[in-house]
Amino acid sequence: MELPIRIRVRRGRADADRRRAAWPDGWPEEGLVAVSTHGDVGRGLEGLAKISGRISGAIESVIEGKPDVVRLALTVLLAEGHLLIEDVPGVGKTMLAKALARSIDCSVRRIQFTPDLLPSDITGVSAYNQERREFEFKPGPVFANIVVGDEINRASPKTQSALLECMEERQVTVDGHTYGLDGPFMVIATQNPVEMEGTYPLPEAQRDRFTARISMGYPAPGAELEMLDVHGRTSPLEDLSPVARAGDVRELIELVRNVHVSTSVRNYAIALVTATREHPELRLGASPRATLHLVRAARAYAALEDRDYVLPDDLQYLAGPVLAHRLLPTAEAQVERRLPEHVVAELVAHVPVPDPRR
Amino acid sequence: MRLRLTIVACVATLLGTVGLYPLYESGGWFGTGCGAILVVGVAGALTRRFRVAAALCPLIGLAALFLYLTVRFAAGQALLAVVPTPSSTARLGRLLGEGWHDANAYAAPVPMLPAINMLTSTGIGLVAVLIDFLAVRARRAALAGLPLLAIYSVPAAVRQQTAGWLAFLLSAGGYLGLLVSDARDQLAGWGRAVFTARWSAAVPAGERPDSSPLAAAGRRIGLAAVAVAIVLPFAVPGIEPRGLLGIGGNGGSGSGKGSGSITGLDALNPLVSVRRQLVREGDAEVLKYRTTDGGAPDYLRMYSLDRFNGETWSIGPLRAGQDGRVADKELPAEPGTAAIPARAVTTNISIDSRVHGLDVLPMPYPPTKVNIKGDWRVDPRSLTVFSTHDSAGGRSYTVTSIRPEPTYQELVTEAAPPDSITSRYLAVPDSVGDDVAKLAAQLTAGASTPYEQAVKLQDWFTKPGNFTYSLTTPPPRRGNALRDFLFTSRTGYCEQFASSMAVLARILGIPARVGMGYTAGTQQSNGEWLVRTKDAHAWPELYFTGVGWLRFEPTPGGDGGQGSATVPSYTAPQLLPGAPGSDPETQLPTTGSGSGSAQSSAPTVPRHRTDTLADSRAAPGAVPESHTSQLPVTWLLIGLVVVLLLLTPVTLRALTRARRWRRAKTDVAVAHAAWDELRADAADHRLRWPASETPRATGRRLTETLALEGAAAEALTRLARAEERARYAPSTERLATPREDVRLLRAALRARASRRVRWRARLFPPSATMSLRSAGTRIMDVFEWLDVATPRRRRPT
Repeated sequence: MELPIRIRVRRGRADADRRRAAWPDGWPEEGLVAVSTHGDVGRGLEGLAKISGRISGAIESVIEGKPDVVRLALTVLLAEGHLLIEDVPGVGKTMLAKALARSIDCSVRRIQFTPDLLPSDITGVSAYNQERREFEFKPGPVFANIVVGDEINRASPKTQSALLECMEERQVTVDGHTYGLDGPFMVIATQNPVEMEGTYPLPEAQRDRFTARISMGYPAPGAELEMLDVHGRTSPLEDLSPVARAGDVRELIELVRNVHVSTSVRNYAIALVTATREHPELRLGASPRATLHLVRAARAYAALEDRDYVLPDDLQYLAGPVLAHRLLPTAEAQVERRLPEHVVAELVAHVPVPDPRR
Repeated sequence: MRLRLTIVACVATLLGTVGLYPLYESGGWFGTGCGAILVVGVAGALTRRFRVAAALCPLIGLAALFLYLTVRFAAGQALLAVVPTPSSTARLGRLLGEGWHDANAYAAPVPMLPAINMLTSTGIGLVAVLIDFLAVRARRAALAGLPLLAIYSVPAAVRQQTAGWLAFLLSAGGYLGLLVSDARDQLAGWGRAVFTARWSAAVPAGERPDSSPLAAAGRRIGLAAVAVAIVLPFAVPGIEPRGLLGIGGNGGSGSGKGSGSITGLDALNPLVSVRRQLVREGDAEVLKYRTTDGGAPDYLRMYSLDRFNGETWSIGPLRAGQDGRVADKELPAEPGTAAIPARAVTTNISIDSRVHGLDVLPMPYPPTKVNIKGDWRVDPRSLTVFSTHDSAGGRSYTVTSIRPEPTYQELVTEAAPPDSITSRYLAVPDSVGDDVAKLAAQLTAGASTPYEQAVKLQDWFTKPGNFTYSLTTPPPRRGNALRDFLFTSRTGYCEQFASSMAVLARILGIPARVGMGYTAGTQQSNGEWLVRTKDAHAWPELYFTGVGWLRFEPTPGGDGGQGSATVPSYTAPQLLPGAPGSDPETQLPTTGSGSGSAQSSAPTVPRHRTDTLADSRAAPGAVPESHTSQLPVTWLLIGLVVVLLLLTPVTLRALTRARRWRRAKTDVAVAHAAWDELRADAADHRLRWPASETPRATGRRLTETLALEGAAAEALTRLARAEERARYAPSTERLATPREDVRLLRAALRARASRRVRWRARLFPPSATMSLRSAGTRIMDVFEWLDVATPRRRRPT
């Protein structure tokens, strides 16, 4: 069968090993293996539940006791969005990103953002091929299905902005040539909010392109204990084998697009976003893109909840992760230590829920 | 310039003057008053524009007013029709003097003469100057209420009746508007109001500080105060005789408001006013008089109660036209009194100066001429002389009256009374009952003429042993007091006797009414007659064709009765000239104190009993049913209304529930109906239901707070799911047992609620009163709009 990615970048050896470990007899033929998911996808939401259950199961075998975070990550994946994971060091940000990437059989590239990273290190360069006497495009790490950007705020804004085009338009333009990116395409970036020395905070435009920002939080004591037991012996990430294919994910995304969003729920999304624009404690409200992302994420979340329609509950749940990182508090609010998250929670608690009859 | 406040002050003044309307015959004063207010307002605004010293502001206002009056009333004498000259000023002064004279000479409503108009404009203008100065210049809006109150109380002082509730509403509204407006400006000086309980919408920079939430509270208080002021007097009898439940009063008789006639006292209840007077005075002196009527003068009548509703005798509206003044002319003649022999009697009456609020003159009936100072008018039908703004206290007046001396033949005539009499004085409601009619027939068996029937009735009442005179009669708790008096207790005092006889007479076809006033009183050693409050009395007056109204006396007199009551001589047929078997030697009826001068001289006449209850009971002409059986009915009505009011929410709730289920045809509608019902139940049990909560979240919260388990929890989940699907999903699911689910949850709600809440939900469900409350909120919104609409368009300078 054809591999799901058109531009194949060099796969690391580890990938091949991993695949071999999972499928010792070679890549299974269609219909022969249990992991084949095409049938599941064909069965609509049930299939989606099955596949998403497998993916989240795989991730949760690595990240202990964080089902909500895993679910949000999956939501973003199915909403064709990008994920920003923001938390203190050592809580498993990179682990989550890698686990998600690995549980899906697709191309994964990891970029370690450093201060001296250049935009061409991300997008790729045109190099002169002496044999053929012409310039040849060498694709950068962004040409992958899942791009893990570690410590994204350590690179200079110049480098960060190399991601702008590919994140929004799913294409890369180098030397006047535009190269399309294959779906699914997802950027999972991590950043550390505490250690600010030598970092460059993400510009608004960049933040606005991330569908959601989540933070991991410390694990519960029990989960931490289990983690000690498991991680003490082996690395579960190494044992992780893909449980879904890129094609499956594409079909799931297609499925999610068909989730019903009633007019009143759409109006509710607009009401929520509008409220952020009018709130006195915010200098910058959410953009129309935020509305789009919110509804898209709500569709994915509803699908993950085994529903073919979106509820205001979905929007309420997702408002914080989807909207908060785009908002800029006023100076007064900052002095009062009012975080955008608080404002969003307040709005959710005050904006009336839509009732089509009223 | 404080333009806004100036305008509000002008409007408040204007609204305050609306209450003056009862004083004038036409509305011409309003235009000139408006002009005065406008001129004063403009002058005030200009003084503020040019920053004139505060002390000069009222002077400038007065000057502007003067200018305005000159232009309006003395343009001909003024230079260029504007500049005041000595002659124009003199004309104004003359007009003012004339106006003052006219105002004193005429009773309200006065005709719209230029002088009156001028006086009114001057008064309104002065008030406007004062209000403009106080409210706008001195920023003491609250104080501006005093001139407003002054102008509002003018009609009350002149006509002894307040202006209508609408006028009050307008005045109060104007004053409240002034207060609100002033408070807004004051608050604005302090910058933006800070709200903590609710997050407020963004206030764009440069906009006026938003004080509306605070103002809303103020408006609410103001509205409540005005509402209480209007509604409360209706519910409290006695304070305002026009009250909704006024006893015996004649609330519905305000029909005589045509031009040229006034309706004075139309609802004044003689009972209330005179009883109040009695209670205040104790057994005090009411009046003294000298009469040419010899030793047995007639009673001094005040009112004639001509309406009987089955329970109560009451007085119809007293009316007198412009030509109704009694001064220096003959009173209209009583219908049908021309033919009989009569002698003229002159009585000089002096009312004690301590008597207050006596606006009807006690005098012998029928009067032909009254000499009294002040504006007194006569109601031509009852010959009652009354005033709408004068009190008789301390006055002396001379009355010429007729003392009829009919012969027997004249009395026993069978001619039918004129229609004008029968149409008014014969009505007996059906509620009186057949047994009373039977009694009347039985009592008068054998009497062939109305006169003989009347005499038989009087004899029956006054026959010793038949009835007991007592002031301490307990009022019957229920049932018809008339029947109680006639058949059961047979105990009462003048009220019962008089009204019962009048009713029986009407049943027999004799026109009858109840007269009210004082007995002749007691004669002093100097020949003067003294009437005290204990001489207050009520008696029946019967009409005989060709003779007119004659007083009868069914109440026992003397020691065991009404002390100074006398039986008129014409009620003893055997004593009348021309009567069959008339014998001048026959003694007078035993119960009467006779007409001999020796008998009625002061020391021999027994005094009225001084019972502790006398003050409250022995009001003159007080009518028996009024405070005996009227009260239970009133209370029953009140109870009924209260019960109905209490039942309204429950009924509303049940109706809403039934309608909700009935209208739910589709699955979606059923889901909505079930959810709405649950919501209403939650509201009844005082559970909050925020608008920002989704059905699912509500379900979760209720499950937690109510600690639902098992079937109830499942029912709630079902309802919530159905509702959210109905709202947001393309397809909905069918609720199998929506009503049972709702019922189950209601039971759960009830189980968790406290006893108080439970009963409240059962008897007075808040969900049913929500619509009322929302209506109230909507009214408030109108106020809000009125208040906010102007500043929204204006930008601060």
